[in-house]
Amino acid sequence: MVAWDSVIYGSITLLDLIIFFISVIVVLVIAKIVALYLKRSLSDRIDRDELDKLIKVVQIAIVGIGIWLALPSFDFDVGQLVVIGGTGALIIAFASQKIVGNLGSGMFLLVERPVKIGDTMRIGSTEGTVHQIRVLSTIIKTFEGVYVRIPNESIFNSEITNFVASPARRFEYRVSIAYDADSGAAIAAIRGLLANHPFVLKNPAPSVYVDSLADSGVAIVVRIWAPSKVWWSVRTEMLERIKQLLDGMGIEIPFPQRVITFANTGMKGKQEPGGDNHAAENRG
Amino acid sequence: MFGEYDFPFKYESENLSLSIAGERGLLTYKRRCLGEEVTKLLGTTQGKVMISPVEPINLPQEVTPYLEIRFTPVACEPDSVQTLYLTFPVEIGVFLEAKGSYDVLDIFTLTSPKYSLYGTPVEGIITRYHESDVFPGIPEIDLVREGVLSLTIRNSSRGWVEVSRVVMDCTGFVLFCGDMVSLTARMEVLSRDLADVRIGDKPLCTGMFPATLLARARMRFIPETLPFMMEYGVGG
Repeated sequence: MVAWDSVIYGSITLLDLIIFFISVIVVLVIAKIVALYLKRSLSDRIDRDELDKLIKVVQIAIVGIGIWLALPSFDFDVGQLVVIGGTGALIIAFASQKIVGNLGSGMFLLVERPVKIGDTMRIGSTEGTVHQIRVLSTIIKTFEGVYVRIPNESIFNSEITNFVASPARRFEYRVSIAYDADSGAAIAAIRGLLANHPFVLKNPAPSVYVDSLADSGVAIVVRIWAPSKVWWSVRTEMLERIKQLLDGMGIEIPFPQRVITFANTGMKGKQEPGGDNHAAENRG
Repeated sequence: MFGEYDFPFKYESENLSLSIAGERGLLTYKRRCLGEEVTKLLGTTQGKVMISPVEPINLPQEVTPYLEIRFTPVACEPDSVQTLYLTFPVEIGVFLEAKGSYDVLDIFTLTSPKYSLYGTPVEGIITRYHESDVFPGIPEIDLVREGVLSLTIRNSSRGWVEVSRVVMDCTGFVLFCGDMVSLTARMEVLSRDLADVRIGDKPLCTGMFPATLLARARMRFIPETLPFMMEYGVGG
C-alpha cells in the first residue's frame, strides 16, 4: 500500500510531489497545444522566423506560470529551498563538471555573442552555418548539409572565425593575360564589368591593376568588396564573367611557357607543357 | 501607372510591359522589363492587382534596409535650414489582393541597382547606392524610374558643413505616389561626422496616396519608421 502522505522532505509529501509533476506535465502539454494552435492560425499572417520566436516566448510564459502555480502545493520554505538548492548545486557541480562547464560556456556565449544563428563560421575545424544555440551545445550545419553538435565548452575554448560578422568582405583574383595583349584595355573592360554588377560595392571601390610581369604573362589583380551575405555568389559569378569578357575581347589567358635559346645555332624554341617542343621542330 | 486594377490588366511603355490576361480562375501574369521576361499563373476569381512603388532595397536580393544618396556637395552655413530636392531609385511591386489578404507577385526596377558601404568594413553598413543631382524645386522625372526626395537639412553645428550624402533606414517608411513617387526626410547635421536622419510621414504634394507596404504583403510585423544616425560623415 502506497502511503501518499509519507513525508519526502520537510513538509513535502509524496502526494505533493506527484501533484507537482502532473501539473508540470499538464502545463507542458498545454504549451504544446497552444504552440500548435498558434502555428496553424498565424502561419499565413506572420513570417516563419517571427512566428517561431513568438511561439517560444508564449511557451516559456505558459511553463513559467504553470510551475509558479504548482509550487505552492509544496508549501515550501524559501530558506530550505536555498539550502537544498545550494547542496544540490554542489553535488551536481562535482558529479557533472563537463555539463556545468558547457552550461557556463553557453551563458558566456549568450552574453558575449561571438556566434549568432545564421552566421557562417569556422569553429575549430568545423565550417558551416549556425543553426541553433542551446544552453549546453551549439548546432552547426556544414556546407555539405551535415548536422554537427558542438559542446559549448569546446566552442568557448576554440578559435572562432566568423565569416559574416563584418558587413563587407574582400576577395581577389589573379588573371594572367598574354604579353601581346593590351593590358590597359583589359583593365578598363574589367573595371566596366565590375561597375555594372550591383553587389560589387561602389565604396570601397574595386581595384584592378597590373601586379607583376610574370614568366608566362602579365598578372592582373582584381580586388572586389562585396556584402558578406552574398560574397560567395559574387565571387563565383565574377570570375566566370571576367573570363568570358577577356575571351570576347580576344585576349588570351596564356599557358605556362618558356623560351629556350640554343647556344650553338642561336635558334629559339617555345615550350608549352603538354605540347610538342617547338625547338625540336626547328632542329630539323 | 500606380494604383489598383481589376483583371484583365495591361500596361505598356517603352521598356516595360505588364499584363494579366486569361479566364478568371487561371490568369497569366507576364512582365517584360529591360529584356527580362517573367510569367506566372494566378489562381484567382475575385482578386485585384495593385501596382505600387516599394522601398528600393529588394533587388537583386535584399541585403540591407539602408538607402544612400550621393549628391553634389552642398555647403551649409552654421545654424541654417536648407531644403533640397533629390531623386531616389524606384522599385515597383506588383501585389495581389483578395479578401483582405495581400501577396507580392513580383518586384522589378527599370534602374540598375548598385550597393555600397557606409562606414568601415568592420563596423559600417551596406547601403543601396544612388547618385542624384540637386534640384532647388520639385524636378520632372520618369516616375517609373525615380522618385523625389525632399530633404530638409538643418545644420546645428557651430561651423560650415559640406553635405554630400544622406543615408536613411527604409524600414517601415511609406512612399507616396500620384503623378510622382515622393518621400520627405529631415537631416539634422550635428557635426561633419554626425547627422540624424528621419523620414517624414507626409506626402510631398496634396492628392498623393500612400504606397502599399511590402511588409504587409510579406506577413511581417509592420515596423516603426526608424531614425538613422549617420556616424561616418555627411560628406567626402
